[in-house]
Amino acid sequence: MDLALAAAVAPTTMAAERTVAVAPPLASLLPEGGLVRGRTLACEGLAAPSLALSLVAEAGRAGAWLAVLDLPWLGVEAAVELGVPAERLVRVDAGRPDGSAGNDQRGELWGEVLGAVLDGFDLVVTRVPPRVPATLGRRLQTRLRTRGAVLVLIGDPGPLSPDVTVTSAEVRWEGVGGGHGHLRSRRVGVEAAGRRVPRPRRAELWLPAVGGAVAAAVPEPTVLHPRSTADPVLDTVG
Amino acid sequence: MVATGVEPSVPAAVLRANRVVARSAAAADEGVHLDQRRREAQKRCPELRIVEHDPDRDAVAFEPVVRAIARFTPRVEVVEPGWACLPVRGPARYFGGEEAFVELLVGATAVAALDAGPSARVRIGVADGRFASVVASRRAGEAALLVGAGGSPAFLAGLPVGWLHRTGEASVELVDLLVRLGIRDLGALAALDPADVLARFGPEGHHAHRVATGLDERGAHATAPPEDLTVAASFDDPVTVLEPLVFTAKSLADELAARLAGNGLRCTRLLVAAATDHGERDERTWYRADGLGAADLVERVRWQLASWMASGEITAGVVRLRLVAIGVRGDGGDQTALWGGSSAADERAVRAVARLTSLVGDQGVLVPAWKGGRLPAERCGWVPAAALDLTDARDVRRRLGPLAADRDGNGGGGADEVVPWPGSLPAPSPTVVLPEPEPAVLADEDGHLIRVSGRGELSAAPVTLAVGARVPRLVTGWAGPWIVDERWWDVTGRRRVARLQVTCDDGAAHLVVAEHQRWWLLAAYR
Repeated sequence: MDLALAAAVAPTTMAAERTVAVAPPLASLLPEGGLVRGRTLACEGLAAPSLALSLVAEAGRAGAWLAVLDLPWLGVEAAVELGVPAERLVRVDAGRPDGSAGNDQRGELWGEVLGAVLDGFDLVVTRVPPRVPATLGRRLQTRLRTRGAVLVLIGDPGPLSPDVTVTSAEVRWEGVGGGHGHLRSRRVGVEAAGRRVPRPRRAELWLPAVGGAVAAAVPEPTVLHPRSTADPVLDTVG
Repeated sequence: MVATGVEPSVPAAVLRANRVVARSAAAADEGVHLDQRRREAQKRCPELRIVEHDPDRDAVAFEPVVRAIARFTPRVEVVEPGWACLPVRGPARYFGGEEAFVELLVGATAVAALDAGPSARVRIGVADGRFASVVASRRAGEAALLVGAGGSPAFLAGLPVGWLHRTGEASVELVDLLVRLGIRDLGALAALDPADVLARFGPEGHHAHRVATGLDERGAHATAPPEDLTVAASFDDPVTVLEPLVFTAKSLADELAARLAGNGLRCTRLLVAAATDHGERDERTWYRADGLGAADLVERVRWQLASWMASGEITAGVVRLRLVAIGVRGDGGDQTALWGGSSAADERAVRAVARLTSLVGDQGVLVPAWKGGRLPAERCGWVPAAALDLTDARDVRRRLGPLAADRDGNGGGGADEVVPWPGSLPAPSPTVVLPEPEPAVLADEDGHLIRVSGRGELSAAPVTLAVGARVPRLVTGWAGPWIVDERWWDVTGRRRVARLQVTCDDGAAHLVVAEHQRWWLLAAYR
C-alpha cells in the first residue's frame, strides 16, 4: 500500500473517540454528549444511585465491564432494568480478607483497591469514604486519566474533584396513592454543573420510566390539567 | 509442566481461567485432560496439585533449548514458550541430511533441557510446513518423528480435526462445527473444494483447509506490506534493568500495532532485536498463526529480554531495541465476543478479578446470581467471582437466569429455566437493597404504630415513617399491603410478611415490611 495512503487511512485518536455513549435522554446533560474516558463524574441528590447506573448503562451494553466498589447495597435488578448488563457487573468490597481494617485505614484501603479496580475495569461506580487524604485523591485521578476509565461517584466526592457534577432535585413519584397502585415511575429534575460545563445544563427525566429504564420527560404544561396525575391507576401485582 | 518443577509422577495441572492448559503424565492417567474445569479435574483426582498459568516462568525455562537450537540455525521462531519452529532444509544440507541434523538437534536440545529439570523432554517433528511438523512433534514418541518430503498430506489425513484447535490454527467453535457436520478428520476437510470451504466457513475455514491439506502459512497477502513496519528506540544511557525496557517496548508495540491496524494488517511474525553498549546482539523471531496484538508483542519482548539478561551473556546495558513485523496477514477483525468468545475487555476484567481477590479476599469480589423470591434481598444474591468462569456464556446464563441479556432474543436458551414468581412486585425495582433490614416505625395520625390485620388490611392510614434513629418524615403516598405467605406448610420455616411501598415528603420512596407487628425497611428506591 502506498505510504501516503496508509498515513491517510491510519486511525487517529480524537477527543470524540475518547467519549463513550450514554443513553440519549442523558446526552444533553454532558458537554461532550457522552462520558469521556479518564474523567470523574459525581452524582448527588436523592436519585444519585439511579443516575449513576443509568449513566454507565449504555457503555456497559457496548461491552465495557462495570465494577461497583463499596456499594454492598446495590440492587442488581434495578441496575438491570436501567440497562446495566448483569453479566459484566462485578461488586468489590474494600476490606482486608480477615476483616481487619480500622476506621482510620478505611480511606487508604479504599484508595488501594480503587487503584486496582481502575486497572481492570472501564467503568467504576463507587462512593468516597470519609477521611480520604487529598494526596490520595489526586493520585487516583491521575491514574484514572492514564488508564482511561470512567469513574462515577455517588454522593459527596470528598477530596476528588469531579469534572461534572450531576445533581438530582425535584423528585416526584408516580403510581402510588392512598393505599392503591404501585410505584411506576419517577420524574426527576437534573442539573449538570462543574468545571467542564461552562453553563449549567438542565434536563427533566423519567428515572425510572415505566418499566424501569430512563426516558426524557416532556416539560409539563403548566396548570392546564391540574388533576391529570391524580387519577388512581389500578394495577395487578405480579 | 516441566517449568513448574513438578515431576511427571506427581499429578499436577496448570490452570488458566479455571481451565486446565497443561497436566503431568500422572494427572493424565487419573483422567485429567486439557480444557477441563478446575472442579471437574479435582473431582477426578483429589490430590491434584494446581499450578497457576505463568508464561514468564515457562519462557525462562524454555530459553536454554532455544539457545541450543540457535547454535545450528539463526532462523528459529518461537511460537510460545515450549514451542519453536525452524526451517530444516538449509541446515540439513550443511549437516549431511535430515536424519543426521535431527540427531544432532536431539542431542543438543536434550542436554539443554536438563537445565529446566531432570524430567524435561524435547520432542522434534519434521514435516512439510509448520502445522504438519507441530503435529509430528506432538506425536513423536521418544525423540523425533520424521515425515518424508511430500508425505505430509498422507500423514495428516487420518488425524482428527481437533488438532487444528490444539495447535492454534482454528478456533474451538470451527472445530466443533466441523465435527458436527461429519468432517471428523483432516483428510475429509482437505478433500473438500477450497472454494466451497471459503464460502461456507469464511477466511478462518479457508485457512484451516489450507493447513489440513499439508500446505502452510497464510495465503500470500494480496497487497505488499508497507515498508515502514520497523519501530526502534535508542537509549542514551545503557539500560540494565528490565522494567524500563518493557515500558519502552510497550509504546513501540502500540505504535507498531496502530500502524498495522491502519493498513488493516496484523503481525504474525515479529523480529525483536536488541543490542548492548558493548555490541552484543540478540535477535529472535516470534510467530503466531492468528496474529499478535499490541499486548502480545510486549509480552514477547519481555520474554526475550528477560531470558537474555538472565543468560549472563551480556556485559553492558541495552542501548537499542528494535521491533520489526516481518510477517503480516489481513486483519479479520477481533470481535470474537459476538461469537460467544471473550473480548480484550473480558480478559482484562477476568485478570482484574483474580488480582482483586488476592487483595481483598474472595468474599470481597462478587458477581450477581439469581435466586428468585418475592423480597428484594432474596431475589438476587452475590457469589464470589473467583470460583466462576465469567466469560463462559452458558455459565453466565445459568447464574443470572432472568437477569441475563437473553431478553433481547440472542441465545434464548435460558427461557425454560426462568420461573415466574407470582406476587413479586413489578418494575421498577429498588436501587438500594439493604444487606440487613433496618427497624422502622410506620405510625398513624396519633402516633400509634400501624398494624396489619390477618386479612391484610392496615389499621389506619400511615402518616409518618421513621427509619432507624432518623427524623420521622411525612408519608405522601403508599401502596399495598401485599402479603407474602411463604412455606405455610412448614411450622418453623413459615414466614408471613406484609409489604408496603411508601413515599415521603422529601421525595424518597421505601419498601417496608411488617412482620410480627414490627416494621422493617428492606429497600429504597433512590
